[in-house]
Amino acid sequence: METAGKTTEQSPSPAISALAMRYLVLAALIVIASLGFGFANENFFSLANIGILLRSISVLFIVSMAMTFVMLTGGIDLSVGSNVAFAGGVGVIALTATGSAPVGFLAAILAGMSIGLINGIFVGRMKLSAFMVTLATFALARGLALVIYDADSINVSNAIFLWLGGTSWGNVPVVIPFVVLVFAVLSVVLYRTTFGRDVYAAGANFKTAFVLGRRPERTLVWVYILSGALAGLSAIITVGRVSSGQPWAGLYLEFDAITAVILGGTSLFGGRGRLFGTILGVLLYGIIINGLVLTGTNPYLQSLIKGAILLSVVLLDSWTQRGKQR
Amino acid sequence: MTTVGKLLRERNIIFVTLACCLVFYLINPRLLSLDNLSAISRQIVPIGLIALGQFFVVVSGNIDLSMGMASVLFAIVLGVFFGMTGGVELGLLAVVASSLALGFFNGVMVAKLKLPAFIVTLSVLFMAQGLSGLIIPRGQQIFLMGGFFSYVGSETFLGIYLSFWFLVALFGLAYVVYNHTRIGTCIIAIGNSEENAKLAGINIDRVKIGIFMFSGLCSGFAGVMLSTRMGFVQPGLDGNGLLLDGIAAIIIGGTLILGGRGTIGGAFWGLLFIGLVNNALNLLNVEDVWHQVFKGLVILAALGANWILWQSREATAH
Repeated sequence: METAGKTTEQSPSPAISALAMRYLVLAALIVIASLGFGFANENFFSLANIGILLRSISVLFIVSMAMTFVMLTGGIDLSVGSNVAFAGGVGVIALTATGSAPVGFLAAILAGMSIGLINGIFVGRMKLSAFMVTLATFALARGLALVIYDADSINVSNAIFLWLGGTSWGNVPVVIPFVVLVFAVLSVVLYRTTFGRDVYAAGANFKTAFVLGRRPERTLVWVYILSGALAGLSAIITVGRVSSGQPWAGLYLEFDAITAVILGGTSLFGGRGRLFGTILGVLLYGIIINGLVLTGTNPYLQSLIKGAILLSVVLLDSWTQRGKQR
Repeated sequence: MTTVGKLLRERNIIFVTLACCLVFYLINPRLLSLDNLSAISRQIVPIGLIALGQFFVVVSGNIDLSMGMASVLFAIVLGVFFGMTGGVELGLLAVVASSLALGFFNGVMVAKLKLPAFIVTLSVLFMAQGLSGLIIPRGQQIFLMGGFFSYVGSETFLGIYLSFWFLVALFGLAYVVYNHTRIGTCIIAIGNSEENAKLAGINIDRVKIGIFMFSGLCSGFAGVMLSTRMGFVQPGLDGNGLLLDGIAAIIIGGTLILGGRGTIGGAFWGLLFIGLVNNALNLLNVEDVWHQVFKGLVILAALGANWILWQSREATAH
């Protein structure tokens, strides 16, 4: 808490240059990683391949942007991956029951928001620790997904429902401009509205925000609902990509999102971070994990590498933070 | 009146567990048969070890998310050594050493480097999962047979499984340490307020590292117990399920997740409750898919109930 307060008190220029430095390093690493995989696979730089890559990490983009909001408030949302499966299940079942894609969309997003609402009430109103509450909803949402799917996948053929995740304009999958749109909307919300200010305030100093009448408890509830809604949106994209609803969709997605957000420079303690950093973080992390999948790396080695990446980024951050404070 | 109210508030899990027993008995008397109770006592041992290690971590205001997957890893370590040497001595030594080392690692990251416990142990969870699949050839299982495994797994003393005796002894030891030594006081103090604990002259880094080493060791023991019960090890074992059960047990037992409060007795009753319910879900042929829904709901309900109880207690205190 105090460290967050101290750094926000500093004059803006060194903070910005540190941030710019981080983005430059991330951009350089993205170039290096792409060059590496480019040498390994000569088709890597084809427009089609870049489209495929971006489409495969489109869900990670959206979930990570949601996670950025949550982590800016000093929280964490471990339930997003399970929520993607649950919201997808509700959406697909609503779709097959009514045959209407808008009803399916609405059902998926509302289902995602309801899990978010549970998180929000427990974390925001009851002030319980976010990792514990969202660990419970992580189990709950995955369980509900398994129940409503009866542990089996459901094929979807409705063209409108599949449009967002499944279609391309030439080499450009529809979902890519959509992710850009979501980024633009969320940027406006975070940087140009009082809600966005409240998100930063709740994470930087909850008590001060409370004293100033910014009602941080309510901000937290809405942040988790937003995270749930974006999980619902991700569920629609996920179903569109594979033309079916899967009970195990989004497995460990929360872990990937947390890593990408931390890579992008958002503080684990809340109050500091930007959506643009998250975009760079997702690009770098997405290229790496995609590369691991494409090169056929042993999945167990993949989880070892993922765990090591998260830990080393956190370690590096705390090390540079400490250097600055001295 | 007030004593009844106090009893209900502070020992509520006992009543909930007993009420559950009654309901289960009415549904199917076989649930409370001696055979089944003894089966439950064996099933809950790995969960109980994880709950016990987690208890101290949570009372100190932290969490160890790596415990479930780590215990799968340690079960596999034991299996690999057993496969190589045909004996368990070296394997047990390796499990104890590596589990203490893992706990030490977690503890140093949290205490010395001031990293949040959930993020450190989350990454360790993934690394443990990865390692468990890498040290065993892909898609293979190692079968564990012979003296030690059948001895620990199915030998009884006074009609009760040895593994359950081990668990009870460890809980008893933990009870003494928690309630009657300085260590217990230090842990509670840290959970209530780190700054005050530091002002009181407690070496909080050392206590925290000790807590995580204990939770690591408990994961190691849980791994050994898991291997004796299953009779084989493979990387796909459900470590996260164990973790969730362990956490559920201590939260149901009234441990405050924000740290500083909780009782060993409560954790033990919470464990019995989880064991009973898991067993009942199986025996009553509740579909597997419902189990996880149930676990999530139980944890949420217990979190909410604890919150209401502490809230009312704080109100009466003023």
